[in-house]
Amino acid sequence: MSLIEPIQFATLVVLVLNALGVAALIILKAINRSRRRRAEARKRSHMRLISRHVAFEHSTDPVPAKAATDPAFIDALIDVRNALAGSDLEKLERLVARHGVVDELVSDLRRSFPKVKRLRAAMALAELADDEAVPVLLEHLDDREPEIRVQAARGLGRMKWTPAIDAIVARFGMETPWVRARFADTLIGFGSAATWPLVAYVTVNHRHETAGPVAAIRTLAAIGDDEAVKPLIEVLHAGADPEVAIAVIEALGHLENPMAAPVLRSATRDADWRIRAKAVTALGLLADTESLEDLAAALHDPEWWVRRNAAAALGVIPGGLDRLYEALTGRDHPASEAAIEALVDIGELAAARARIEEGNGRTRDHDLISVAEAGR
Amino acid sequence: MPKILIADDSETITTLLTTALESNGYEVSVASDGHQAYQLGIDSEHDLAILDQLMPGLLGIEVIEKWREEGIETPVIILTGVDDERTAVESLDRGAVDYVRKPFRLPELLARIRQRI
Amino acid sequence: MTWARVLEWLGYGVLVYFIAMQAYILGLNLISTWALRRDHHLNRFGRVTEMLSSRTTPPVSIVIPAYNEVVGIVDSVRSMSLLKYPRIEIVIANDGSTDGTLEALIDAFKLEKVSIPYRAEVATAPVRAIYRGRGAVDITVIDKENGGRADALNAGLNAARYPYVLCTDADVIFEGDALMRAMTRVVEDRERTVAVGGNIRPINGSPVDLGHLVKAEVPKKLIPRMQMLEYLRTFLAARPAWSAMNALPLVSGAFGIWKRSAAIEVGGFTPGHMGEDMDMTMRLHRHHLKNRIPYRIVYEPTAVVWTEVPETVRVLRRQRIRWHRGLIQAVREFLPMTFNPRYKVVGMLTWAANVLFEFIAPIIEFAGWFIIPLAWFLGVLNVEAFVWLLLLAFGMGLLNTLNALLLDESYGYFDTKTDTARLLVMALIENFGFRQLTVWWRIRAMLGGAAVKSWGNMERRGFVRSVSPPQAPPASSASRP
Repeated sequence: MSLIEPIQFATLVVLVLNALGVAALIILKAINRSRRRRAEARKRSHMRLISRHVAFEHSTDPVPAKAATDPAFIDALIDVRNALAGSDLEKLERLVARHGVVDELVSDLRRSFPKVKRLRAAMALAELADDEAVPVLLEHLDDREPEIRVQAARGLGRMKWTPAIDAIVARFGMETPWVRARFADTLIGFGSAATWPLVAYVTVNHRHETAGPVAAIRTLAAIGDDEAVKPLIEVLHAGADPEVAIAVIEALGHLENPMAAPVLRSATRDADWRIRAKAVTALGLLADTESLEDLAAALHDPEWWVRRNAAAALGVIPGGLDRLYEALTGRDHPASEAAIEALVDIGELAAARARIEEGNGRTRDHDLISVAEAGR
Repeated sequence: MPKILIADDSETITTLLTTALESNGYEVSVASDGHQAYQLGIDSEHDLAILDQLMPGLLGIEVIEKWREEGIETPVIILTGVDDERTAVESLDRGAVDYVRKPFRLPELLARIRQRI
Repeated sequence: MTWARVLEWLGYGVLVYFIAMQAYILGLNLISTWALRRDHHLNRFGRVTEMLSSRTTPPVSIVIPAYNEVVGIVDSVRSMSLLKYPRIEIVIANDGSTDGTLEALIDAFKLEKVSIPYRAEVATAPVRAIYRGRGAVDITVIDKENGGRADALNAGLNAARYPYVLCTDADVIFEGDALMRAMTRVVEDRERTVAVGGNIRPINGSPVDLGHLVKAEVPKKLIPRMQMLEYLRTFLAARPAWSAMNALPLVSGAFGIWKRSAAIEVGGFTPGHMGEDMDMTMRLHRHHLKNRIPYRIVYEPTAVVWTEVPETVRVLRRQRIRWHRGLIQAVREFLPMTFNPRYKVVGMLTWAANVLFEFIAPIIEFAGWFIIPLAWFLGVLNVEAFVWLLLLAFGMGLLNTLNALLLDESYGYFDTKTDTARLLVMALIENFGFRQLTVWWRIRAMLGGAAVKSWGNMERRGFVRSVSPPQAPPASSASRP
């Protein structure tokens, strides 16, 4: 059989590869083990060193010359920095400055490769949050590596370097979802300083983009600055894309500003059920007592989500409880279902049972229990 | 020399605290999880214990409970994370004498320790 | 056409089959190595911590089907509520347990019965009652009549309130950051990601303390040790490759994150299916490809969970037969996808390979047990070629295992020389006995018949351990004749 030669050859190749593989495995394990142990030992000694510098006002412990280029030293620095607050941080900053740590990291980042080292440098600069790093971080907000962009923004955020906000917002629309989410986190960290840049971005872009403006609106909601309420309402009036409209309604709820109540109330009658569902939830967050009528009406909505959210909202607004009990014993079965779920969720069922046990049971407590027991 | 027990699963924190405390003249014993902490507390007497709330094995609060069951009355300061408001307050109810949030300030922590010892 | 000729052609056929299979495995190995290296540096750099403090991290419902799990369910739920993740709820579907599982849960977490409307988007066996508890984490328990694991999962799906659902088992031990790491893949691309699979490792023989793994050790008993190798081969040397091609044929039931809306859109899990995890994964592929909806199903190697694998031949046998029956059901269902270009890489490559090498291979191997000796007896066997071929097969399988072990190195689980030695020796001997056993069991599974009927009951009790284990590894288990 002429096939036997190639088979033999292939077999020998494979067996040789196997032998190499076994050797590689053994060697690799040994190397990794010793490397790990040495790195741990180094980190531990660095940790002790840094701790002494922080604990003693004028520590004369010598810092090894190569410390700034030692990843273990930087790791230890970062760990210690994250464990401390206040004046201790200043001591750490002095240590960092004295040994040119930031300069080393900056030059690492500016290199074109290796990627891992650049990434490490970016992350370390973000963690150390030393002002010296601002220029290089600004430079790298549009680095070709997504993770470096993330760390650059993050570092600027930790330093509360507000001039960076515009640059970060400008990138919102063109970023990948992951980077955009992390940029959003950074902007939330900036707080209300980021409000107007974000508002501007949404106002300008919401008609021809969705993903970016939606993320920006969610960020505004998380920041919680009232200044965003009026502009967001304008966005709604300007006839927004449904995804954008939903995001705005959600945001208006989180911003908890009564100015938004009228537009939310009319949104509970929107043609799109998702908008109705979000609007009723938002009204619940506003705890707006003038919306009780609209919410009670929403209990009879054809869509399950709208009914459920309306009931939940009624559960938390003062005066809403009465509407729930009304729907509970009403003729509209779906509304009654929604009401009972909300009543149970807010603890009314347990409270009713307790009241009955103590002898203070009211008629509607008994109604509640009997509807609950009738169950499914 | 007053003796302090430190327990935290983060080596950074234990190293920091050990260095700071030893440099201030305290004797320190270290544990890296709840069980170890509990055991150290049983084995020898300490003037104060600083326990992390979230540790593998036993939680900080649980260590206090078990010590009290054994009649060990060592005062305890609990270290809690920033988002852990509820636990912080609860720990006071359950027998801790004080709590400190992480990240912490060393001078402040040292002051609170001096108060207790 | 003499018998000799027939046998000779059969021989060539087996050769071609064998080469194709090994080429496939080799390809998977190479792609997996590339994929793992590419993502390795990302994992070192704290993406997890960022997500933990982010308000944009999506909430997750953890769904646990429970049947007679009174022994460990409370501890399991407690440890899951301590997972490092901003917002989760735990939904337990009590599938008609008879050992007090429900009572234990009600007791431990102070649950209240709430007869709320239960919205059955997917039909299930009747639900008796729903319980809710509020503590550090919201817990919902659905008490329902027995319907099997898939049915219980569907009940959990129905009751879950969050857009993403993590389906798992009561006896699985999570690494603290497992959920976070898996969700990182979701956040990367929320629009398209419909499922994320995790990395499952056998915990047998490793010391566990209060629900946490103390130290990973190579199992001391041979049977779990052999499975350790199997799991390493699939989870390190195959799944990363499949994931990179968006052609993952299986997201394991022990750790699978599903986009709730997508799972419901395809009708939930199939009740009574022996491999409901593979079935769901393939249905998601089919649905999205058929309707041209952009999607992706990925695997995250750093989302690690630990589970106990069968320690005895008896339990292992049950498990493998069940797995293979699930595979048979899936092959039947998804046969139209095989080599169908409409289904892109899944149809043309990974599912096709699954059918060819997982499904058909045992038949060929089993046939080989008879044909080879027959051919030799008849004097038509080219003994020399056969022996070399066998050696080649053995060598390639070993290479596959070695690659998996090398890839595992970067995770740093097994440190000592004894561990290395144990694994290497196992890699050598697993082809002398274990392999043959698994092939025989698969044939048994195919023969079905009486065996099938008596399994009816077994399925119900079958959650005891490793309920939905990772599907058997692809033909990456060592030698072929």
